Amino acid sequence: MTAIPRTTAIDPASVDLRTRLGKLELPHPILAASGCFAYGQQFADFMDLRRLAGLSTKGISPKPRFGNPLPRICETSSGMLNSIGLENVGAEAFLAEKLPFLAELGISVWVNFFGEDFASYVECARLLEAGRGHGIDVLEMNISCPNIKKGGIEFGTVPEVAHRLTRACVEVTDLPIVVKLTPNVADVVAMADAVAQAGAAGVSLINTLTGMAIDVRTRRPRIATMYGGLSGPAIKPVALRMVHQVATALPQLPICGMGGILGGEDALEFIMAGACCVQVGTANFARPDAALVVLDELRARMADLGIGSVSEVVGCIRPLPPEAPRVDPAG
Amino acid sequence: MTALALPSQFSARVDVNRSLGGGYVVLEFSGVSGGALGEVVAGQFVMLRGEWGRELLNPRAFSVLWSEPDGRFAVLLKAYGQGTSRLVASPVGARVTVTGPLGRGFRPTDGAVTQLLVAGGVGLPPLHLQARQASARGQAARLELFYGGRDRDDLVLLGDFEAWGVRSVLATEDGSVGARGFVTAPLEQRLVDARAAGEAVEILSCGPTPMLAAVRHIGLRHDVPTWLCLEEEMACGFGVCLGCAVPVHGARPYQYCCSDGPVFEAKQVRWP
Ligand SMILES: Cc1cc2nc3c(=O)[nH]c(=O)nc-3n(C[C@H](O)[C@H](O)[C@H](O)COP(=O)(O)OP(=O)(O)OC[C@H]3O[C@@H](n4cnc5c(N)ncnc54)[C@H](O)[C@@H]3O)c2cc1C
Ligand SMILES: Cc1cc2nc3c(=O)[nH]c(=O)nc-3n(C[C@H](O)[C@H](O)[C@H](O)COP(=O)(O)O)c2cc1C
Ligand code: FES
Repeated sequence: MTAIPRTTAIDPASVDLRTRLGKLELPHPILAASGCFAYGQQFADFMDLRRLAGLSTKGISPKPRFGNPLPRICETSSGMLNSIGLENVGAEAFLAEKLPFLAELGISVWVNFFGEDFASYVECARLLEAGRGHGIDVLEMNISCPNIKKGGIEFGTVPEVAHRLTRACVEVTDLPIVVKLTPNVADVVAMADAVAQAGAAGVSLINTLTGMAIDVRTRRPRIATMYGGLSGPAIKPVALRMVHQVATALPQLPICGMGGILGGEDALEFIMAGACCVQVGTANFARPDAALVVLDELRARMADLGIGSVSEVVGCIRPLPPEAPRVDPAG
Repeated sequence: MTALALPSQFSARVDVNRSLGGGYVVLEFSGVSGGALGEVVAGQFVMLRGEWGRELLNPRAFSVLWSEPDGRFAVLLKAYGQGTSRLVASPVGARVTVTGPLGRGFRPTDGAVTQLLVAGGVGLPPLHLQARQASARGQAARLELFYGGRDRDDLVLLGDFEAWGVRSVLATEDGSVGARGFVTAPLEQRLVDARAAGEAVEILSCGPTPMLAAVRHIGLRHDVPTWLCLEEEMACGFGVCLGCAVPVHGARPYQYCCSDGPVFEAKQVRWP
């Protein structure tokens, strides 16, 4: 029999949601995910942004980018494919036009960034360093861009390359760098280890899974670039597995978990797998206040289960006990 | 193009689910706990999502058919894929999450120009609302409807235009009502006549993309200001996901259907 923890419901108001990612302290574990929250501003019409622990911006590159041909998105079972093409305003315009709004919010501002080659990654980290003390709290380095120039794929899939890239970016900024890893690898632990050794403050897990959808009437792919990034509940089991693998192998490395979080229970699963905070992505499209729904449900669910604090359940899951040994009277 | 009310997110319930025949359905909603769209510009839309669980994630876009200050509003739709099929089957009392009003709509008539409203299929609502609002301002005579469909059942809510005093030119592919063929034929004749009479006209159109493509060419060919209400696949509906790109001419290759549109000037759209 499995020992199931005692579950005496407690008062939701007494649940301590505080958490930390390395040195970064957060009032609770719920942030909004990159590419699913733009630069935050549009959401102000629908919700109190100050209730979020933080948000990750659309990926920023040194120069503005215009993005991919259309169609760029299509819905699939329990998820969606996207190939936006990392369209963004560029580092300079971000610092001048978008950051002041975010700085005012008083929440943790993570700037997701990438480069088109090695040098432009470093360039971007250097440019964004100017935002330290002016609103930027974390640089989230996206090394999992499926749709940038040749060679780009290596940043996210070859541990030595990721190591060198992370080291080079860490050297040009005093901001903590959280490296966002791609699930499109055979050994995610090797990638996490490589960037941790290079000075990453943590890892974000996971970016989208490469996928495809076909319109059988037209015999064409449903997004223009043929393959795109799959997100939403469809990828949650993969994301949980990766968070757990990294948390188990590298217990000192802080993890921000994401992939298909729609409700409080999803967030709690990620926390139990080993994430100290989580991001809500695709769910923001279903309803703009999705991240706050996750937050409210997380508190309620923890209270239900008698869990008094986030810190006591980060990475708490244990394997099932072994089966009883078999006795064969005939043998 | 103007946008008035700030968008909000609220819960609404289905008050009326009325079939118009031909597969068309009008869904009327009322906002729960004070939720309301407020003033809506013709062409603006809402994102609607029913209680769809985890399988069907994204909300779907619908042009607003009408909206009242008390929080009631309506959309016109037809079952197409998964989202619309579920909405069409909504019983009275069903709950939806609403985000809106979103986007930039058509500009109203200034009284000096005749607006030719060119509609097809579920593209009727923006033009229906434009006519309703013009009629409320006593300007119905400045509007004319060009409405095309496959057959008699494909033309709905005609009585409203008649009641408002908006002239209608109809066309059906099977010839069961109005001219036989596409409505773009009488539209083009109307432009020729306007040119001859020195009359100022502009085109406002919403409907299936092939129809909009034809209307765009006609507008460009006759050098008539033409506004198209476009449809692109959307995830968020308010400028966040960058999924709904529309190819345009100018400094940037794309604009966004949800936040820059859905109404675009024909000459701006980068189509073949
Ligand atoms: C601004 C705007 C206003 C709209 N107003 C109305 C309205 O008033 N009434 C109405 O009935 N519909 C309207 N639509 C269209 C409506 O949102 C679509 O019918 C809907 O997105 C399709 O959803 P579905 O779940 O039925 O189909 P799905 O199951 O999502 O899709 C089935 C197939 O259709 C394709 N598809 C999905 N969306 C579109 C699209 N928008 N255009 C072309 N192909 C698509 C998909 O790629 C898929 O292959 C509007 C769309 C937009 C963008
Ligand atoms: C439309 C869209 C755009 C995205 N853009 C970015 C991006 O610019 N940078 C990035 O690191 N991740 C990006 N992502 C990935 C998300 O941040 C997230 O890792 C992923 O979608 C999984 O979470 P979800 O299932 O909650 O969406 C994007 C996702 C979507 C759906
Ligand atoms: S639908 Fe998301 S940006 Fe337009």
